[in-house]
Amino acid sequence: MFNISKDFAPPFKLITPFFISGVIFYLLSMLTALFYPSSFDFHELSIAGWVHLFLIGYVMMIIFGAMAQLVPVVLETGHFSIDWYYLIFPLLLIGTILLIVGFWLDPILLSFGGILVLSAMIIFAVDVFLTIKKTELNSITVKAVKVSNIFLLLGILSGFLMALTLSGFMGVDIDNILKAHVFAVVGGYVMITIMGISLVLLPMFGLAHGFDERPVEIAFKIMIYAVSLVFVGGFLKWDIFKITGYILALLAVVVYFYQIILIYQKRVRKELDIWYKSMLFGYGSLILAIILGFLYILSGGSLNNLLYSSMWLLFTGFFAFLINGHLYKIIPFLVWFHRFSPLVGKKRVPMLNEMYPKKMAEYEFWFSAFGVVISSVGLLVSSDSLFKAGVYLLFMGSVFLAFSTKWMLDFRSDDE
Amino acid sequence: MSKITKEQVYDAIRNVIDPEVGFNVVDMGLIYDVDIDDENNVHVKMTLSTRGCPLHQMMQQWVKEAVEKIPGVGEVTVEIVWDPPWNITMASEEVKKALGANLLK
Repeated sequence: MFNISKDFAPPFKLITPFFISGVIFYLLSMLTALFYPSSFDFHELSIAGWVHLFLIGYVMMIIFGAMAQLVPVVLETGHFSIDWYYLIFPLLLIGTILLIVGFWLDPILLSFGGILVLSAMIIFAVDVFLTIKKTELNSITVKAVKVSNIFLLLGILSGFLMALTLSGFMGVDIDNILKAHVFAVVGGYVMITIMGISLVLLPMFGLAHGFDERPVEIAFKIMIYAVSLVFVGGFLKWDIFKITGYILALLAVVVYFYQIILIYQKRVRKELDIWYKSMLFGYGSLILAIILGFLYILSGGSLNNLLYSSMWLLFTGFFAFLINGHLYKIIPFLVWFHRFSPLVGKKRVPMLNEMYPKKMAEYEFWFSAFGVVISSVGLLVSSDSLFKAGVYLLFMGSVFLAFSTKWMLDFRSDDE
Repeated sequence: MSKITKEQVYDAIRNVIDPEVGFNVVDMGLIYDVDIDDENNVHVKMTLSTRGCPLHQMMQQWVKEAVEKIPGVGEVTVEIVWDPPWNITMASEEVKKALGANLLK
């Protein structure tokens, strides 16, 4: 009898709540998006509510669950304390719900939600830092994990200052700190995390070796300068810092995209599976988001439609496709490890590619892909009907994702 | 005591499948060397396609258990090495073809 080591693969029951909640929040974010018009002001609290539903409820929830699995993979050592994730989950879940309800119904709840989310993220970051202390690796991915967590804390602290202000306990300049907050979390945490982790996951799933890693190193450094400039510029109200930061951030993403092309050229696994298609669509959306972002800056910040469709593409096209595409890899692995790995050598065990519902995943992909394209055009031309039609397709895609997730989590082989 | 051959060891390890790609670890080219001493103690030197693979410890264990099933085998040790790093040229032609690897690029 051999031991199933938990060093590199945390317990099933610990990670699955993150994925289940994340997928439910994704479904809810697509459902609630149906009630928004194509023209809006991003300062509105109801918009902030939706953005937090999507970014914390869905993106962060799944990133945190995935990091429970991926931190040991990229750092090549076990967590400092994997059990802390049992505490992170309820704090993040309740904090997110309070934040969303606070934005939509009663701002007094924002401070309470904020303190819970802040606590969850501090515990998460402390575990990451203490785990990094255990490893001697100093790869670009390790540096990215380190830096992104510093930005995460700065982003959440700045968000908490705004939450206290909206609840009436403080009086900070929300308009300026908002930019620092958004950049620290989206650019500093989510984008740098994606840069670092994709350098491990894309070659691992695509079997790519021997590619030049310098572009991602450059992209990583430029993004650090970009986020730092916007963060400082936001707090000190220095516009030149902010504008330079916006341009550098777009440049960083362009250089990162070049890195992805290099990995793509070196991959030896040519399967056109759901993961690969999701990556193609996700990175295609990223490029379109960059182009629209550049055009917005060129317009002198006057054409908000460009900004909104750029951000929408980044969120629902890039983040969502990258995350959902990886769910078809990560969830089957977790289920396989939990349910089938003890049976290896004793009876036939399924392969990972048998452990996701191919048709449902295809429906999820195509509904979501058409949904992103149509809703982005709707935002670009301020057409409510196009935007709603696109969001409806996205919602349909999210329903298929929810069923696919359930199918994968319930998977059992025929002879079991 | 009959001496165990390398072929017997490789054949035993062929039962260990990488669940992600669906091929056995021998055809994947992950087994670098097999050393058998006079006492039939077996030392396997292998690698993984990715550093930090979540199946790291299990793969090692599966290979060990597969070799231990050979009648008359002594002590089995499995060592994971990273030098040289694995690449697709180490895999069998069948694996390369199935993965769709275009090695001319």
